Amino acid sequence: MSSQKISMAELEYIAKLARINLSESEKTTFLPQLESVIEYFDILNKVDTSNIEPTFRVNDQSNVFHSDEIKESLPVDLALSTATRTKDNYFVVTATIKK
Amino acid sequence: MDFSTLTINQIRQGLLDKKFTSVEIVNFFLDRIKKIDPQIKAFITITDEFALNQANILDEKIKKGESIGKLAGSIMAVKDIYLTKDIQTTSSSQVLNGYIPQYSSTVYQRLIDEDAILIGKTNTDVFAFGASTESSGYFTTKNPWNLEMVPGGSSGGSAAAVATNLCHFALGTDTGGSIRQPSSLCSVSGLKPTYGRNSRYGITAMASSFDCPGVFGNNIEDIALVTEITAGKDIHDTTSVDNKVPSYSQNLNKVNLKGLKIGLPKEYFTGAIDPEVKEKVLAAAKEFEKQGATLVDISLPNTDLGIAVYYILIPSEISANMARYDGIRFGQAVTDATDIISYYMQTRGKFMEPEVKRRILIGTYALSSGYYDAYYTKAAKVRTIIKKEFTDALKNIDVILAPCSPTPAWKIGEKVNDPLKMYLADVYTVCINVAGVPGLALPCGLNSQNLPIGFQLIGNFFEEEKLLSLGHQFQQFTDFHTKKPQL
Repeated sequence: MSSQKISMAELEYIAKLARINLSESEKTTFLPQLESVIEYFDILNKVDTSNIEPTFRVNDQSNVFHSDEIKESLPVDLALSTATRTKDNYFVVTATIKK
Repeated sequence: MDFSTLTINQIRQGLLDKKFTSVEIVNFFLDRIKKIDPQIKAFITITDEFALNQANILDEKIKKGESIGKLAGSIMAVKDIYLTKDIQTTSSSQVLNGYIPQYSSTVYQRLIDEDAILIGKTNTDVFAFGASTESSGYFTTKNPWNLEMVPGGSSGGSAAAVATNLCHFALGTDTGGSIRQPSSLCSVSGLKPTYGRNSRYGITAMASSFDCPGVFGNNIEDIALVTEITAGKDIHDTTSVDNKVPSYSQNLNKVNLKGLKIGLPKEYFTGAIDPEVKEKVLAAAKEFEKQGATLVDISLPNTDLGIAVYYILIPSEISANMARYDGIRFGQAVTDATDIISYYMQTRGKFMEPEVKRRILIGTYALSSGYYDAYYTKAAKVRTIIKKEFTDALKNIDVILAPCSPTPAWKIGEKVNDPLKMYLADVYTVCINVAGVPGLALPCGLNSQNLPIGFQLIGNFFEEEKLLSLGHQFQQFTDFHTKKPQL
């Protein structure tokens, strides 16, 4: 890998993927901070992991099922009570496609 | 009457014996909070009306001779990332300013069902991202032993509240040390249970394969009582396990210290460790030795990889978990965006605090195409190695003893501009989370500057009972846990 771990263009691309607007001053603050953190990760390169399986969860559970019973759920008005905008029992969002 | 020094059982018994009422207890703590909290700022919300209402109902039950819960009348503070129905839950972020949850977290609800009284919601690093409470979107909590110092974090508000007797016990979460490290920095006891022992349901998610709800207390007896209520399978959290929950509080003297093998991992006593921390933690180990335990030098050679593994995996999980804060179903949002993508970007850009953004960005980077295998998969593989290191070590010894933090509390502001430095503060706690095993933090004295030092006992999966028994016995032959800050 190159010595520069993350470029400004890459930071901007990542921020877009993460759906976060960054101000110019945030970008200049974050870039060296992220750079030093990501650089630190190189410590892992010294470990040979070629025959090691990854761990994504620490206990052995998989496929946890429960019985398919109808239970009471949140009433619609309560479920919508924290929404920014609602209409006719729906969440309202800004246009997702151009008119 | 000073209700703050009574244990949970003493409070309950006093109520049954009609020595005092729940309303008197609540008023005592509300007065105490009014006097002390402005200095330390442990609370984001004080739930005075809610607490008095609970107390009135409880007193009525006692008057009528009805049965009361196991935690009746004891005062609890709850980290503000636990959802509390009808009570604002902010996660110490402006994102959730004003958010009133429609349902409650399981762990909190189980305690309410046993008549514990909620006195308030405590400050934390924003969404529990931090080691000092300084990343809170509201304010920094002060260390009650020295108001210029951090209380540790992320559950710093809960630790400070217990340290100053503003409650009998407090809920926290430990994803990378957020119960054990502030316990150590504030001189209280705190349990990070095995991953899956306590339900995560209704707690704003940080890193789902790491998050562990747990409790802070003044003594192990109280922690054992609370944990036997919170622990156990929850249908709403598929990662919670249904292993039998032992009667922790009944088995506090169960483990025989004679012949017990305690491992001291050399990697936790070398390098950046403060000499006074090392001295006090080793002195605590000697106390066990005096009771007949054997101290064994052990090695956990991959300890130095813990921070890198942790700070790749947890931001990755964070970047996925934080996607829910889209400003549509809950949380603050901008009003002037013209299309949905700018709505997301502006909302998240405006309301998310810097540490939230940093961690999402690191995680998004580690998960992004081209880097996924180099960072995320690599870290997940090293996680396997670290986990095995703990379970292998615990085959030959009964328990591991180590410091919780390389240093006592540090000055507010000292590490805020250097995220890597702040992340390295977790060096003695994160590996336990990477492995998923339980850890119990206990106070073991003060340094020459009158700042607390703590240590942790680390056991194998689901060995909370053993840890609590050892911790309780330690608190019988020492009195470090009774020391309180002068305010």
